Amino acid sequence: MKNTAKILLVSAAALSLAACSSEPQEPVEQIIVREAGAAELAVTAAGASTDLAGLAASGKAAFAACAACHSVQPDGASGVGPNLYGVVGRAAGALGGYAYSDALANSGLTWDEAALDGYIANPSAAVPGTNMVAGAQADAGRREAIIAYLASLTE
Amino acid sequence: MSEVKNAKPPRSKAAKWSRRGFIGAGVLAGGALLVGVAVRTGNPIGKLKPIVAGGDGEALINSWVKIGADNLITAIVPHCEMGQGANSTIAQMLADEMDVNWENVRVMEAPADGNYVSQHTVRAFIGPGTLPDRPNQVGFMEPTYDGLFTQVAKLAGAYVTGGSSSVRTTGQNGMRIAGAAAREMLVAAAAAEWGVPTSEITTENAVLTHAKSGKSETYANFAAAAAEQDLPRAPRIKTIDEYKLMGTSAPRKDIPSKVDGTAIFGIDGGPEGQEMKYAAVKAAPVMGARVESMDASTAKTMGGVLQILNMGDFVAVVADSYWQAQQALNTIQTTYTKTELDSLDSDQMFAGFSKALDEAGASGGSSKADYGDAAGAFTTAANKIEVEYKVPFLAHATMEPMNCTAWVHDGKCDIWTGSQMPLVARGGAAEGAGIDADDVTMHSVLLGGGFGRRLTAEYSNQAARLAKATGYPIKMIWSREEDTAQDFYRPADISRFSGGLDENGKVVSWNNVHCTEDEPGDAALVEFYDIPNVSVRNAEVEMPLRLGAWRSVAHSQHGFFVESFVDELANEAGQDPLEFRRSLLVNSPRHLAVLDAAAKMSNWGSELPEGHGRGIALVRSFNSIVAEVAEVDMTSGKPRIAKVFCCIDAGFAMNPDGLIAQMESGIIYGLAAAMYDEITLKDGRVEQSNFHDYQMMRMDDAPEIAVQIINGAPDNLGGGGEPGLPPAAPALANAIFAATGQRIRELPIAKHFT
Repeated sequence: MKNTAKILLVSAAALSLAACSSEPQEPVEQIIVREAGAAELAVTAAGASTDLAGLAASGKAAFAACAACHSVQPDGASGVGPNLYGVVGRAAGALGGYAYSDALANSGLTWDEAALDGYIANPSAAVPGTNMVAGAQADAGRREAIIAYLASLTE
Repeated sequence: MSEVKNAKPPRSKAAKWSRRGFIGAGVLAGGALLVGVAVRTGNPIGKLKPIVAGGDGEALINSWVKIGADNLITAIVPHCEMGQGANSTIAQMLADEMDVNWENVRVMEAPADGNYVSQHTVRAFIGPGTLPDRPNQVGFMEPTYDGLFTQVAKLAGAYVTGGSSSVRTTGQNGMRIAGAAAREMLVAAAAAEWGVPTSEITTENAVLTHAKSGKSETYANFAAAAAEQDLPRAPRIKTIDEYKLMGTSAPRKDIPSKVDGTAIFGIDGGPEGQEMKYAAVKAAPVMGARVESMDASTAKTMGGVLQILNMGDFVAVVADSYWQAQQALNTIQTTYTKTELDSLDSDQMFAGFSKALDEAGASGGSSKADYGDAAGAFTTAANKIEVEYKVPFLAHATMEPMNCTAWVHDGKCDIWTGSQMPLVARGGAAEGAGIDADDVTMHSVLLGGGFGRRLTAEYSNQAARLAKATGYPIKMIWSREEDTAQDFYRPADISRFSGGLDENGKVVSWNNVHCTEDEPGDAALVEFYDIPNVSVRNAEVEMPLRLGAWRSVAHSQHGFFVESFVDELANEAGQDPLEFRRSLLVNSPRHLAVLDAAAKMSNWGSELPEGHGRGIALVRSFNSIVAEVAEVDMTSGKPRIAKVFCCIDAGFAMNPDGLIAQMESGIIYGLAAAMYDEITLKDGRVEQSNFHDYQMMRMDDAPEIAVQIINGAPDNLGGGGEPGLPPAAPALANAIFAATGQRIRELPIAKHFT
């Protein structure tokens, strides 16, 4: 350990690069708990699902990422985003007690599966001016699962 | 400076850059004109050459301008945007030289993979105008030539954002020349087409006009013809009276994306259409230690977890979401190999510093400046003082935590991360993925704060190793705790001074020894003060943490040391701190003008409320001169910074609003550290972990700040990103002394008022 107090604008970078070279880059130990897509979060590829209940179950797990903003409890209060219980089939901007953006309120959308799919894929492209600035889901299979889960949330 | 003996050194020549530019041009598909300028760099980034120039012996700054078919002009800038706004200012310089209106200008960050021009376009650049003037220039020009025109990939990586340098180097020596050259080529093309002399053609708002014949065309319509013109060897650069955009606060081009949220930062990046997995990491907490054992029995059972890895120097959890990865990581029990630092505490480290300084004594250590006879003059001085100052390690605490997304696939690697040196980041990833750097594509994104933290390679290395080991596209995000504990820190230091005054209170001896070696080399020097006998030295010590550049680098320590000691000398001489400094600046008119302006802004000398005090400090850094006056309110028994008045002379403010913003941000960043922050060690580990014990300045603690600009040397630009910081801490400490008589010799200040 010889690290004298030389502090050059770039020497830190050079040193750290050198440090990498002298150390093994491979894992010492690698525990594979499960493969992606297997076990608890079985999000299937787009279009491959036949079991709607299974799809909704995996969608419930995938929805964990959405739950920071959206409640799905019947009569639950809206958070950063509106409560999504019963959202499938609802008109956009229709839930009372939530301050929608003008853009969404005036979008004229009805939340069928296609509308939800396009919106979740890229909210600000689907409804420019929407408040939803986070949580876009690029993965089509994951969107399908989430929508199946939302559709399962009815009385 | 060590070779200068017994003679006062000449005025500092910080960051001297060669003006020998080198111009090339070509046409892109679709008729867009591309003009490039390469400038051979001088000393400041000499250390970078092996990294950025691929070992061909030349490091280059290059700047590019593209004229699109839509008559939009794009400045392609080899610097990152980390909040400082310099790329927009650089585009402003280009546009002014080119006579383009600001609305028609776009800014693009040069990619670090060099694929933005094709090989054929590159070859089209080669022309007779690019050959060297004289045979003896071949040695220097040829690698430049090769680098510029056949290896654009490597060139675009001549890429560092630091040292408060981009406007005064790339802007001043690259973009202005590129803009002027492009304009001259467009004029020549129009003159040939219209059959009129070039002198009769005027340019404005990206339009060429021949008034006599009434002919007028956009730049875009002559872009292809312009590329056929001779390359200007030395295009005429505007004089200051001709500036239209330079010197104005043209609105930054990055404002809209940052307001509407479309700006993409490192943490937002990733491959389109690929599902990413998230990694949380924890490195061995003591420098040099490795992971000895890892118990992941709980983590294995936790939701979302895919893989748990012991990488030797760090452990990682890969999961479906960041939160799941971090929660699982928090349950992992680790042991580490022993190191000689395992029992080290901060107090022991500082004791080691003191020992090194004791050994250096009154004349030992390596000399940074030595003129006159400091030791002799001290012996015979009428009045003398000896004091010691101490500053801690500091972390950068960028608001965007360290992160990198890496995807290793098909023998290639893509990374998305914010970096002040994209090629270094690329190199770290290449090492981690076990492939050539040329097979790594660096997707440049905005930095959520840099301050010198994002100059390193270890974070892209970690992400690439995890991506390779797991096969997933990995978004690795450090927790705030990891960020605080695994920084490349601003070095701690102790600095000792002995100073002597004659019967009239004039400084006759200045003797300083400190521990850290200074970068930049002028950080501890005081040649602008009229002191005849000066010795500045440093004693070598070992550091128990990784060191890095922290905003203003060594000026962050020496600004505090030097300007506190000047204040102590003033007090010893029984003089007002402002008047005392003025008497030392008899040979430094620019410094004096800046000092006087800051004093005047603060209404120096006027009555203050009971319990208030004013302090002043003056620091030259990165070729800019900055004076600050802090006004502190001590009536509650603790310091409350009421106001800071700042004057900067950066030669010429290319964008005054941008320069003011950088002064304000440098002051806030500097005051936060001065007031609250230290990184300390216990058992070789960093004790701090998050914002509760490493504080940022809050709105209600922040002072009112007023900034004034002096354009004191229009052709000798100084930097803007860092120079606002160094005077802040000493101005505050001096203000506390003025208010209370309590001299602060150790930072952070809050420690003295618990």
